[in-house]
Formats: sequence, structure tokens, C-alpha cells
Amino acid sequence: MIDSDHLVVPGSRDVTDVLATDPIYRLLGRRLAHPVVLGFVLFVLALALIVLGPASESRFIYTDF
Amino acid sequence: MKPLRILCATALVFLILVAATDVGVRAAFPSLPRLDGDFSPALLELEIDRLRDGSPATVFLGDSELWGYRLRTEQAAPAILGARGLRETNLSYEGGSPVNTYAVLEVLLASGVRPKRVVFNVNQKVFNALDSAYATVQPSVAELALPRFSPADAALVAPARAPATFEARLDRGVRAIWRLYALRNDLRELLFGDVDAAHALAARLVAADGTQRRTDAAHAPTAAVFEGTYDLAPLDDTNVSVHFLRRIVAALRAARVPALAILTPTNHTLLHDYIDTPQYGKNLAYVRRLLAAGGVRVVDLDGAFGAADFIDNDHLTAAGNERFASLLAPQLGRP
Repeated sequence: MIDSDHLVVPGSRDVTDVLATDPIYRLLGRRLAHPVVLGFVLFVLALALIVLGPASESRFIYTDF
Repeated sequence: MKPLRILCATALVFLILVAATDVGVRAAFPSLPRLDGDFSPALLELEIDRLRDGSPATVFLGDSELWGYRLRTEQAAPAILGARGLRETNLSYEGGSPVNTYAVLEVLLASGVRPKRVVFNVNQKVFNALDSAYATVQPSVAELALPRFSPADAALVAPARAPATFEARLDRGVRAIWRLYALRNDLRELLFGDVDAAHALAARLVAADGTQRRTDAAHAPTAAVFEGTYDLAPLDDTNVSVHFLRRIVAALRAARVPALAILTPTNHTLLHDYIDTPQYGKNLAYVRRLLAAGGVRVVDLDGAFGAADFIDNDHLTAAGNERFASLLAPQLGRP
């Protein structure tokens, strides 16, 4: 929905002000967001996607009668 | 710390962890007693590297018969022989055929592997042009082998799948640099015993509630299922499987690798109406002559087993595999 409360007129706000309200930007600004923690979490997520992801290839020939 | 700096540092930590895991995977990914059901090109390369770097072993190349269809790994004949002291590597897989055996052999020899001997099976059903493995190479093997095929040989087989989509290109790119990703199919089979976690869970559920038992009972193989499986037209060089059988013999001879060919045990009781004809015997004799003329030893086990040893037309039970191993043992210098 676009109304006067949400509409941002280009050039009317500083980009850093907009970013400062962004949830990801705010998360990165917190002390908890240490690169080692974030990097490790990202790695665990990637590993989980690979290990728990669905098989993308069907078996070549499945001779199940 | 500025968010941009945090993002860069996070990416660096992620890449360091990925690289460290890859070093571990390359060094410690276990050698599998047989190829898994959906093996990747990376796994085949890994096994070939280990074969090249290790002492010469007996290498089994073949189809589901030697792979151990519907059996646990240790119940397949090659594994039984391994447990009796034979140094062996089983590179068989479901859907084998002469073109598949030739393809793996080509990759092995081109990679500098010189096996102590090669043992492969020849199944009469794959001389049928309607067989799904007649002129089709398993995709992971095709990726490694088809670029090595001569144009004439490549023209005889179904082209390898190499989609040109962005997703496929990205997949190939990531596989090339990230070993863990390249081995993901094999890792899943190693962890779950199935193609992925969802299939593994589903298999356990249908086994637990009796569905699997009822399905197996309802799909007990009957002779009618195999009508058309065997083509009893006289064999000649126009047959793609015959062509690649000749290629196998020539490659083994050129590389001076001793070989033993097994004429696959076949359930004559079940298939009596379709295969117990003079032409079937003539086709077997044709294959025997072709192999023997190229210096390959042949052990004919086509009619060596009774119906009780089979799961279906040609796959042996666990007890059948014990007998199979005992029949092969003297041929391989084992007691």
C-alpha cells in the first residue's frame, strides 16, 4: 500500500537514514554481529543446505520390479 | 565496526571455513566399498586417484549383479571376496552394460591406473537395443568418459546431458572449486543410506508400517514382466553392445591388463519360455568366442544357479552371492 506515510520522495531522505532503519543493517550494527559468529552461522547454513537438501538428480536406471 | 567491513570479514570467515572443510574432505572422505546408487563424477575420480596411488587391485566393472542389487554392501560377491582377502575395488553400478564398462575402463586407463586384473560381467539382456543401458552411459561416468571417446564411438551412444542453463553452469562452476558440494550426493548416501534425508525417512516409515513388505509381495517378479527383455536376434558387429565389447577387449589387450569376464548368472527357470532356445545358446557362444579371441578368460555362469538363488531374472540373493563368490574365488587365485 502506498500512502503519504510510506511514500518516500526521491532525494528527500539521506540514504544512511534509510539504511539505519533497515533490519539487516541494524543487525549488522549490533555487537553480537561479530564476523566470526556470522561467518560460522553462514557456513552451518550452507552445510545444512547441502547435507539436508533434496536429491537433484534422479537415479540413472532404477530396476525395481 | 562498519557494516560493510563486517560483511567483508564475514565472507572471509565463511570462505576460510569452506576451504578448511574442503581440505578435510579431500583428505578424509572415506573410500566406499562400492559406488553409491547416485554417485557423482567427483567420487569416481576420488576412487580412481586412490586406485592409481595404491598397490594394484582387482577391479570389478559391471552392472547391478556385481554391484549387489537390493543387498547390503557386504553381501555382494566382490565384498565377500574382499572379506576373504582379495584386494579389490568394486566400480560396478546399476545399469551397467558393455558401453558403461568400456567407459569406466577408458577413464581408469587414461588416469594411469593399471589394475592387477579387471573382472567384468556380460549380461545377455544388454544386447537388446531396447535395454535402457544398451547405448546410454551413466551420467557421472559420461561426464568423465565421453570426451575421451572417438567420434565414431561417441556417435553410437546417447549424448551426455549438459544443459546450458544458468543453473547448470553455476552447478558445474561450484563443483569445480568446492569438493564438498561436488560430493554432496555421495555424502547424503553415506549419512542417510539413501539419495537424501527425505527418502531415507520415507523408506524407514514404509518399512516400519509394513507397506514395503506388502509392495514387495505384490510385485514378486513373474515371467511375464521379462517378456521382451532378451532380444534373441543373432549377434553381429552392428549391435552396440558387441561393438563396445570389442572395444573393452582391445583396450585391455593394449594395456596388458589381465581380465576375467563373467557370463552373468541367469534365472532359466523363470525365463524358460523366452530364452531356452538354440539362438540364446548361439549368442552366448558368440560372446564367449569374441572374449576368448581377445585373450580374456571367460567363466560361464549363465546356467550355474537355481531359481532359489535369484531375486528376479538375474539378481542373486545374499545366499546366491555367497555361491557366486565361491565360484569366482578359484578363478581369482583365492581358496
